[in-house]
Amino acid sequence: MRLYEFEAADLFRQEGIPVPDFVVVDSPGEARKAAEKIGFPVVVKAQVLTGGRGLAGGVQTADSPQQTEEIAGQILKSAIKGLPVDKIMVVKKADATREFYLGVTIDGVAGSPIVIMSTAGGVAIEETARTHPETIVSNQVPILSGLSMSEAEKMTRKAGLDDAESSRIAAILHKLYNAFRKYDATIAEINPLVYTAKGDYLALDAKMDIDDSALFRHPELKISAEDRVASPLEKKGRQIGVTYVELDGEVGIISTGAGLGMATMDIVGQRYRPANFLETGGGISEELLYRVMELVLQKKGLKAVFINLLGGINPIHEGAQGIVRFLKEHPPDIPIFARVMGNRQEETRQTLREGGVEVVTDVATEKCMEHLFRRLEKTR
Amino acid sequence: MSILLNGETRVLVQGITGRVGQAQTKWMLEYGTNIVAGVTPGKGGEEVEGVPVYNSVAQAVAERGAEASVFFVPPAAVRDAALETIDAGVSLIVVVTEHVPVHDAMEIKARAAKRGTLLLGPTSPGIITPGEAKMGIMPGNMFQPGRIGVISRSGTLAYEICVDLAAAGLGQSTAVGMGADPAPFTSLSELLRLFDADPGTDLVITVGEVGGTQEENAARFITDHMKKTVVAYVAGHSVPEGKRMGHTGAIVQGEMGTTRSKISAFQKAGVDVAMYPVDVVKLVSKKLG
Repeated sequence: MRLYEFEAADLFRQEGIPVPDFVVVDSPGEARKAAEKIGFPVVVKAQVLTGGRGLAGGVQTADSPQQTEEIAGQILKSAIKGLPVDKIMVVKKADATREFYLGVTIDGVAGSPIVIMSTAGGVAIEETARTHPETIVSNQVPILSGLSMSEAEKMTRKAGLDDAESSRIAAILHKLYNAFRKYDATIAEINPLVYTAKGDYLALDAKMDIDDSALFRHPELKISAEDRVASPLEKKGRQIGVTYVELDGEVGIISTGAGLGMATMDIVGQRYRPANFLETGGGISEELLYRVMELVLQKKGLKAVFINLLGGINPIHEGAQGIVRFLKEHPPDIPIFARVMGNRQEETRQTLREGGVEVVTDVATEKCMEHLFRRLEKTR
Repeated sequence: MSILLNGETRVLVQGITGRVGQAQTKWMLEYGTNIVAGVTPGKGGEEVEGVPVYNSVAQAVAERGAEASVFFVPPAAVRDAALETIDAGVSLIVVVTEHVPVHDAMEIKARAAKRGTLLLGPTSPGIITPGEAKMGIMPGNMFQPGRIGVISRSGTLAYEICVDLAAAGLGQSTAVGMGADPAPFTSLSELLRLFDADPGTDLVITVGEVGGTQEENAARFITDHMKKTVVAYVAGHSVPEGKRMGHTGAIVQGEMGTTRSKISAFQKAGVDVAMYPVDVVKLVSKKLG
């Protein structure tokens, strides 16, 4: 789960990483007051959980109380990549003379943390990584012993920094790695870390993703992953205990597994567009599938639903009864197709057929989907 | 022949007294798995499906000679249970548990590397050597004995591919679920190496999905080391960027983790890639002549 910049900046500050003075507000008047307290010039930054906000006008400099109020009002009314801006950060503007990149993430193949730094930080870091890979230094960290100061300093020296600079940046890298470990992060990143005209180092941006699976042991963060889900339907999915991802097509999908769900989406995409991704996980019950049907059918503009049930760990025969109960109470005006394989498949198919679901019995999902395609072609 | 598991492997079930542990123990026994012991701390002395339960892994190893273990342990308890099991000298561990914190997974992997333990997961559907034994939750009736090795990140996609193979009369030497998390214990390349060395396997299918760089890394391994033919399938070409599709590892961020990048890496390594599950069987049949 992604943290807001101000949350990550707070954590960085607690870990001893230097960050500029900032205040978080949600109105233009408060922004003005905050700026007057901090001193001009200030930077007003939209707090949204997406990248690219600079290009979208979400980061602007203000030189006066009046200008701060105007810019804050404008940003608070805007949406960035479709996300409305509810909060803004007012930050003391720094005079940067050099920009660095520091990051810690997970190398999934090695199965270890990886620390990355560059002497060419800033907005174009990904481009820099491609065109000037020699400016990027990275190092896998043995997780049981951690990143020592001397290892961090080896990296900063390899990046070509002189003695004084090398040890100061290594100290920040060391703290960033410790924050990554302490908060179960999957990404901890400072881009840019700047060297100011006054001779200080400051983290001008703060990015942190926390592992959803580890939130249970971080009550101090006071956030639940559920709060960060944007769509009301996706939120409802979390509440009933399934993964629902809202998409913009016309064929609803219900699948008993994530991999199967993705393959089903791909197959729908041959002719139509998926309206959602939904995977039940391993905890199917009568009640769960009743709620799943209710959720999927709430989406506007549906033309059909495809249910892909593979009965391994799941009691799909019980789930089928929930599907049928929902359809009896709320007769649908679109076709519902189901493909059923695995433990107790015959019983499950029978229940669904009697409840008005069109059960297709080909082995492969592709073959089953053709029945749905043919039906939709006819009704066009 | 097979890799990692056969009908004689002495299997331990951890978390055997839980609801899922009990149900799956029954299925595994019915399939023919040689389950010799279970462990649930505090429940030593009980029995589940006739299997004796111990308080610690060390006891189960000492008294019953357990050599492989399958986990139905809650996510927050996986780290300590895995470290205990590694230290007790068990050589294969299958972690079925979902939502294991990724930092815990990395710590487990680091400890296992020191002891030479092989782990599958987290979020692994398990491992099955058809007709002999299975550890995990894979439904036995979707697999049949044969000479194709299958490695899958997803459980349900492994079933989908294997029922298609079965319909075409093709069986598996072993099917392995490597797990759907961002940092699996054992990489795709390491599993390919095991199948390459197995005299009972003629061809290997890798079933992948969006997210991470396992497939790209494996493509390099295939080019440099692999002797046997590999056929690949990568699910999720319709998955939009930034959306996580159930599996915590299945997310596209920029170019990182796209099916495009995986498919092009495989093609450069001379591997045929299926865009849809049914195409896997077609490609395999063509390769086997």
